[in-house]
Amino acid sequence: MEQAIENGFKVVFYPILAPIFHSIDSVLTRLPDGLAGLCGVGLFVSAMFWVCVLLNKDYVNRGRPYKSIWTDLRLWTIISMAPHVLVYFYFR
Amino acid sequence: MEQVIGLHWIDMLIVVIYMIGSLMLGMYCTRFVGSAEDFFIAGKALPFWAIGFSIVTSDIGATDFVAVAGAAYTHGVSAANFDWMGSMPAMVIAAFVFVPYFWRSGVFTIPEFLGRRYNTAVQFINGLIWAVVLFFMLAIMQWLSADKLMNTILGWNPYLTLWLTAAITGIYTFSGGLTAVVFTDVVQLVVMYVGGFGLLALSLWEVGGWSALHAKVLAMGPQYQDHFRLLLPHNTTGPFPWTGIVFGLGLVMAVAYMSGNQVIVQRTLGARSEWDAKGGMLFGGLLKAMIPLMVALPGLCAIVLLPNLGAENADRAVPEMIRQLMPAGLRGLMFAALFAAMMSHISATLNSTTTIFITDIVGQLRSWTKLPPLREQSALRMGRFITAALIITTALLAEPIANREQIYVFMQTILSLFQGPLLAILLLGIVWPRATQWGGLAGLVLGVMCCFVLKYTPGLFPSEDPFLFVAWWSFVFAIIVTVVVSLLTPREPDDKLRGLVWSSVVRDDEVQGALQERITQ
Repeated sequence: MEQAIENGFKVVFYPILAPIFHSIDSVLTRLPDGLAGLCGVGLFVSAMFWVCVLLNKDYVNRGRPYKSIWTDLRLWTIISMAPHVLVYFYFR
Repeated sequence: MEQVIGLHWIDMLIVVIYMIGSLMLGMYCTRFVGSAEDFFIAGKALPFWAIGFSIVTSDIGATDFVAVAGAAYTHGVSAANFDWMGSMPAMVIAAFVFVPYFWRSGVFTIPEFLGRRYNTAVQFINGLIWAVVLFFMLAIMQWLSADKLMNTILGWNPYLTLWLTAAITGIYTFSGGLTAVVFTDVVQLVVMYVGGFGLLALSLWEVGGWSALHAKVLAMGPQYQDHFRLLLPHNTTGPFPWTGIVFGLGLVMAVAYMSGNQVIVQRTLGARSEWDAKGGMLFGGLLKAMIPLMVALPGLCAIVLLPNLGAENADRAVPEMIRQLMPAGLRGLMFAALFAAMMSHISATLNSTTTIFITDIVGQLRSWTKLPPLREQSALRMGRFITAALIITTALLAEPIANREQIYVFMQTILSLFQGPLLAILLLGIVWPRATQWGGLAGLVLGVMCCFVLKYTPGLFPSEDPFLFVAWWSFVFAIIVTVVVSLLTPREPDDKLRGLVWSSVVRDDEVQGALQERITQ
């Protein structure tokens, strides 16, 4: 059954889709290796930047039980994400 | 290599005490259940720490201990990406984009949120997809744990293990609902950490420490040179190229999983405040970051300790190390950890499947057939009946559903077939007020069809199992479809969008009042 579906899709869709995805693939293959680490770490850093700088402080902390640095979810975001940045830097 | 592990009576005692303790704790939570809201979303009373613990245990199953270690043995630390790149960024996005809106809207399920944002057809289709997927996953995880894990490792009769775990998890989920599931999860994660870190400490000790592990693995040959790289080249022969990991996993599959998976999100819907819901997600992310240390690093240690295991037997890495390294007592604790992972995974999925059945399938069918909504006590009774029916049915069908080759590929395939489109309509539904009900419906249906085409047209991607790329491109396709169809159809009235989209009024009282009016209409 699965084989029959694959055969049918190969006849109908492969000629249309292959040129698109193969050209994207050839571009991605040529990207430098260092870009991988940069994108990986960049994802974590940009998420931290978004929460800590771009988002409204009141929105981030709405409903917190009392005002204290320890209930500030911007600090929680940094504490929970910073170890990941170190890990991706170490295993680059 | 097919040796079973014998348990000392002390080990057996620890496992039995653990299982009875879990059952008693779950039964104790019954006293907090008096309504459907108590049963399905714990009466909106959960604190952030319980949510964080529960999210992690709901996500990690017993088979992860074995399969991730096996993947680390074969592919190196890149196997840990699913718990690092595939968790924390997605959990931050979930905490600050999706969870506040889900929590404020007072819904029980994600399909219910989509139903309010788009229309009831989107709710029903999405609910049906999730109900079927979770049903299959429930059956698969029961059989995998009983047969591939406990039978292979301990030599226990798989039917006995299956019915024993089904009975215990079924009883406390039936009685205590989400409250029982969450508070047993807290205990279960502590047990998992003790067992998992015990194994990591012993295996690192045996290897000679981290530096020795690093040096010894790299000295084993050219095929191990990438074992300490998290992001592998795009043209790697393995299943985890960096482009798929960053775009397919980090930006789509993980976000869809953490924001659209009922099993994960249901805990935040039961939070006592919006802050607890967001904080629970972040705390869960921090706890989850430690999971690869206890499930992936032992796999790396096994390369040095069990060099003759071979890639085909990589899943035997953890069982062999338990057998060779762990003394009596600690071995019992490790098996209690495996049972903890197994039971928490099953109970979480069971409770979420029941919630979707009641809210999105039974509820919609009653609405379409002009029957009145279920009363509070009827919904509670029916919830318990469906919980019992599901655990019995999935236990009966577990073997025929799950006893097939390449079960992991099957599970990943069914998940990747709708994660991208689901995320697309969820994201646009919240951040783009112009997204219309017809745009959402077209994006979901055509997006799932796009997944099938990409998945079953061979030769489009370099990877043999391109589920990460399928998720990314189906997400992009569903975004385009939703945007185009939305622009061609009339915009939604402002009143319908109130409190459900990013730019709408966000004052809690006002929004809750408006939503309450709509619910009671």
